[in-house]
Amino acid sequence: MSQTVPHTASGTMNLRSFFARHGVSLYPLLVILALIAFFGVQNPYFATFDNAVNIGRQSSVLLLVSLAGTMVIMIGSIDLSVGSIVTLAGIVTALAIDPFGPGVAIAAGVGVGVAVGLVNGLTLIALKVPSFLVTLGMLSVLSGIANMICGGSSIMFIDQSLTELVNSEFVPGIPNIILIALVTAAVLTFIAFKTVLGRYLYAIGGGEVVAANTGVPVNRYKVYAFMLSGGLCGLAGVLLTAQVGAGTPAAGANMLLDSIAAIVMGGTALSGGIGGPQRTILGVLVIAILSNGMDVTEVSSFTQEVVKGLVIILAVASTIDRKKYLFIK
Amino acid sequence: MTSPAPALELRAVTKRYGAVTALDGIDLVLPRHGVLGLVGENGAGKSTLISVINGTARPTEGQLLVNGRVVSLGSPAEAAHAGIATVFQEQGLVANLRVYENMLLGRERQFSWAGILGATAMRQFAREVLDELGIAIDPLAVTGNLNFGERQLVEIAKAFALGHLYPVEPIVLLDEPTSALSDRETEILFDSIRRWRGKASIILVSHRLADVFAVCDAVTTLKDGRVSGHWPIGDATPDLLHEAIVGRPRSAGYYKEHDQRETLGDVVLELADVDVPGQLRSVSLSVRAGEIVGVAGVLGSGKTALGHVITGALRPSGGEIRVHGRRLRPGSRAAALAADIGSVPAERNLAGVIGMHSVQSNLVLPSIRSFRAPRLPILSGRRQAATTDRWIERLRVKTAGRSQQIRNLSGGNAQKVVFAKWLARGVRVFVLDDPGRGLDVGAKEEIYTLLRSLAKEGVAIVLISDNLPEIIGLSNRVVTFRAGAISAEIPAHAHDKPSETSVVTNMV
Repeated sequence: MSQTVPHTASGTMNLRSFFARHGVSLYPLLVILALIAFFGVQNPYFATFDNAVNIGRQSSVLLLVSLAGTMVIMIGSIDLSVGSIVTLAGIVTALAIDPFGPGVAIAAGVGVGVAVGLVNGLTLIALKVPSFLVTLGMLSVLSGIANMICGGSSIMFIDQSLTELVNSEFVPGIPNIILIALVTAAVLTFIAFKTVLGRYLYAIGGGEVVAANTGVPVNRYKVYAFMLSGGLCGLAGVLLTAQVGAGTPAAGANMLLDSIAAIVMGGTALSGGIGGPQRTILGVLVIAILSNGMDVTEVSSFTQEVVKGLVIILAVASTIDRKKYLFIK
Repeated sequence: MTSPAPALELRAVTKRYGAVTALDGIDLVLPRHGVLGLVGENGAGKSTLISVINGTARPTEGQLLVNGRVVSLGSPAEAAHAGIATVFQEQGLVANLRVYENMLLGRERQFSWAGILGATAMRQFAREVLDELGIAIDPLAVTGNLNFGERQLVEIAKAFALGHLYPVEPIVLLDEPTSALSDRETEILFDSIRRWRGKASIILVSHRLADVFAVCDAVTTLKDGRVSGHWPIGDATPDLLHEAIVGRPRSAGYYKEHDQRETLGDVVLELADVDVPGQLRSVSLSVRAGEIVGVAGVLGSGKTALGHVITGALRPSGGEIRVHGRRLRPGSRAAALAADIGSVPAERNLAGVIGMHSVQSNLVLPSIRSFRAPRLPILSGRRQAATTDRWIERLRVKTAGRSQQIRNLSGGNAQKVVFAKWLARGVRVFVLDDPGRGLDVGAKEEIYTLLRSLAKEGVAIVLISDNLPEIIGLSNRVVTFRAGAISAEIPAHAHDKPSETSVVTNMV
């Protein structure tokens, strides 16, 4: 976060230093522009406002999940349970909405996420099991529970108020789900740079021993990071269920890998301490634009998987500012 | 016979990085079989000079001659072919490999056939090199199981192994080889270096003038990227070197004894019968406002544990710690922090600063809550910046700015930031563990001046160090530890400092 402090006296202002100063690397943007240009030429529909809204609608949930993962990766841990929290929260929401109404359903979905995050965090600090393993185990546990609850099939509901809320347009032309995701991203960016919580998360990721010596309650803030991650995934589950109109047992299945790819592509180091939510937004955009672009240009879904994988590797290789990384592992 | 060409010669070597001139017209001669000491402050250009010699960086201007022939070294591999090997401070050995594997790492090709390693030949070769150097280390030992000093010797043997593989006599660059060695290990290393004269030409880069006098036959000083002096060792004196390194004569009272406070304030920190099983036995100690108490002892004597107990990193099983008469909750960093106890840890990069973060982020970390807006959880960027700038100026921290990553600062400047992060918060008790570690003489002197002014302001200082002259020179009182208990308290008035011997007697 060395580059997040704006200089008071700014001399010449070029684009690169502007971005650098605001903690956003320029390269993911270039990748995005290149993708837009490429797909725009292939199919004129791609570069329309309609399609932009489409991309936003398709990637809002992924953005929330990626932001969740970012908060944990910032402290140098990892949360592999993000996708399974989305699934479980989505199912709980679908179950709660008809008997209890949309308000309780939202609270239940988010609450499930926060609770899982709390358990993840406490297990990590109490049993000293690495986060990788804690959350890997949790991934399996939650998928199992989700399937047990819904018996392997989707859960439909009648109350459409939540679905309407998510799809209606508070700002004309832009569905609310996009707005919710963007506002969340903005709030998290604010938290990262302008609050004690954010500063402590960076400090723990950058140097746990230094943070502890300085009086940062390291364990407590680690738990906070996991709770934040869980809560965001819970919200993602709520929105996904609302958007799809059902709670499904495979809802979050593909989100883990996409989100990690987005986070790293954005420029948050897996070793922690560098990057942040503002960078993840760009990483998500790359993945979303790529998927949508290939849909629009009618690339077969098998080819899509191959291309996506390759582009992720290439993009990460070309976007990481390696000088900031001590280890590449 | 004409006099042989020097092993290594630099002619008017200049190295620029953009607008920064790191080396400015360096002339340097390393005679064949010579041992040349190279000393200078952090930032004087020693590291750049090493990277120019070992092929990591190309000089912008000037020539490099090896055995009288002009060479152009584009990479460490090319330097290795020319016989140049570097032994770095941060060791370049792979811990899970065996000694012989490390010694021949990257050279396996010459011992293999169709990709299959000839392990027997490798071991044999490694054993010969070690024997020749008189190093009693088993080539089959796992490198990670050796101690630091032994690993350093393996690293040097690796350099010699290269010399045997190529038809050249090795030129060995030793970068701060003693900074992490115990006295005994240092002595072993120096004995070895003396024995290797006639087999190699050596450049020894060091902070410690004592190293240079112990083993070198000539010394070159660097200052601001230029050669500021060169002497055969017989003509060099510590004062001459000091002046050439710092650029001004050594001030009379290096430890600022004339600024030592003799009238002290009230008792600030009190330890009463503090016990930590296996580490501290019934330790009672009080430190007054403005007092510097030096803590001396051998490794494991309890001196480090004392620091940890005060800062809350270690929980005592019995006894009490009081600050201004108020009992401190034991084993709680938060409580120590609330009582305004600050600490400068010995391991700066591990425990003192977050290298990848900016000067500002590091500096404001302990006091971060004070930058919140009233009644809002929002941090004021402007106030953080102002505070950082103020401390950068006050402590004269050399940095490109407050947003510079701290890992780009020299050791002395990073250490100043460690001090500043506590001073910005306000400390009443300061626990310093080896605050001069890895700093050059100039930076140390600035830290000492800072300690004196803190004492003047009434901070109670506990100074833990291995450096006896430093402890004696700086402290009002020296406390020695032996087997977890205080073995003596020795007054150290400005005009009546105890001898090192009288302190050491109580340590062993």
